[in-house]
Amino acid sequence: MNGALLELSPGMLLAGSVTAAAAGLWLLLPRGAESRVARSLGLMLGAVALAGFIVAGRRLGGVGEDAVFLTVALVAVVSGAATIVTRSPVYSAIWFALSLAGVAGVLLVLGAQFLGVATIVVYAGAILVMFLFVLMLAQPAGLAPYDRVCNEPLLSAVAGAVLLGLLSLSIGRLSSDASCCAAPSKAAAVQSMKTGSGATGSQQQPAATIAEPADADPLAIDQVARLGGELFGRHLLAVEVAGVLLLAALIGAIAVVTRGEAALEHDRRLAGAGGRR
Amino acid sequence: MTPLLAAGSTALLHNALLVGAILFALGLVGILARRNLIVMFLSAELMLQGISVSLVAWSRYHGDWGGHVLVIFVLTVAACEAAVALVFVLQAFARTGRLDAAAWQALREATLPRAVDHALPASDAVPPRWPRLARAGVEPPTDEDASLEREHV
Repeated sequence: MNGALLELSPGMLLAGSVTAAAAGLWLLLPRGAESRVARSLGLMLGAVALAGFIVAGRRLGGVGEDAVFLTVALVAVVSGAATIVTRSPVYSAIWFALSLAGVAGVLLVLGAQFLGVATIVVYAGAILVMFLFVLMLAQPAGLAPYDRVCNEPLLSAVAGAVLLGLLSLSIGRLSSDASCCAAPSKAAAVQSMKTGSGATGSQQQPAATIAEPADADPLAIDQVARLGGELFGRHLLAVEVAGVLLLAALIGAIAVVTRGEAALEHDRRLAGAGGRR
Repeated sequence: MTPLLAAGSTALLHNALLVGAILFALGLVGILARRNLIVMFLSAELMLQGISVSLVAWSRYHGDWGGHVLVIFVLTVAACEAAVALVFVLQAFARTGRLDAAAWQALREATLPRAVDHALPASDAVPPRWPRLARAGVEPPTDEDASLEREHV
């Protein structure tokens, strides 16, 4: 199967995978009537699309062979798809947590250790739990009709396919067109990371004493300290603005809740008065 | 040839960009198709995840902190957005009793047609089948005095 697939041009491969993914999503999205045939056909199309994406990824470079990257990317993508096709919103949230774990794995493979952990802590630890609380507060018993029927599954799957097709085609062109994004000279990058914008300047050793492996990531040395230095050095104003934004969101949420309760009470009183008259 | 996971590796960049694009497109489909307000927000968060992956991939490729810093701000804004949006969702639920986006379709333009639900299959009426358990054990004798004297449960 791989042999036949490898003879296709990458563009054809990506187009086929995107089409299969869209058809599979369309079959899997909730449309009222549950049909086992549509479900299994959708799952099969999804598997075909995934295989196509993996082969296309290997054509774009060899990373498809890196088992860790492949595994975490598959976890992220498959559970992301399950997030949007599951009927029950609680299962949706839990699939989203699994997708977050996959994304955190991708970030770790990309060398962003702090961001991988922060994704788990902030998203899965705080935001997702907030979602689950709201679900517990607001979920009616059983599956609601609006969870079992969705808006325009065909049109949305086509829209997603068009977007994904455009994006993946431009990624493919990126790989063929080397002049647009020549890889930065590694020595220059390492040098600039060492000298520029370092908050840990006093601890830095001369570059000559650090033995660099050939494929070292210039971002990987002392990552958290230097990320903090960058964040609170060049981006200090943005950090302050983000703090103000968090405070405003906190106060705004509380204000909306209290004002909303008052308005609801007012509405109820009006309705009661109207009923009595 | 550069090693696969090296910093300036275009292969890793392209594959990570592909993963980010797929996550973004999945989130788009979810936000367009689903009607549950909370699932729509989850889809928006999925789109943010795709953006984060792309940003970190570019950051690694260029050996530059910009993508990392942007992702940190994306996390911050996502936290704010989730707090405020979930308050609105709760208010909407308190007013309509549903988490349905179509419950607010009275706010649409006057020229747009009304969204009509598909008919749901009648199979809902069938009660769920519970597993049947074998009888096991002996019922313990109940002490009626003790059950009456209990102060609290």
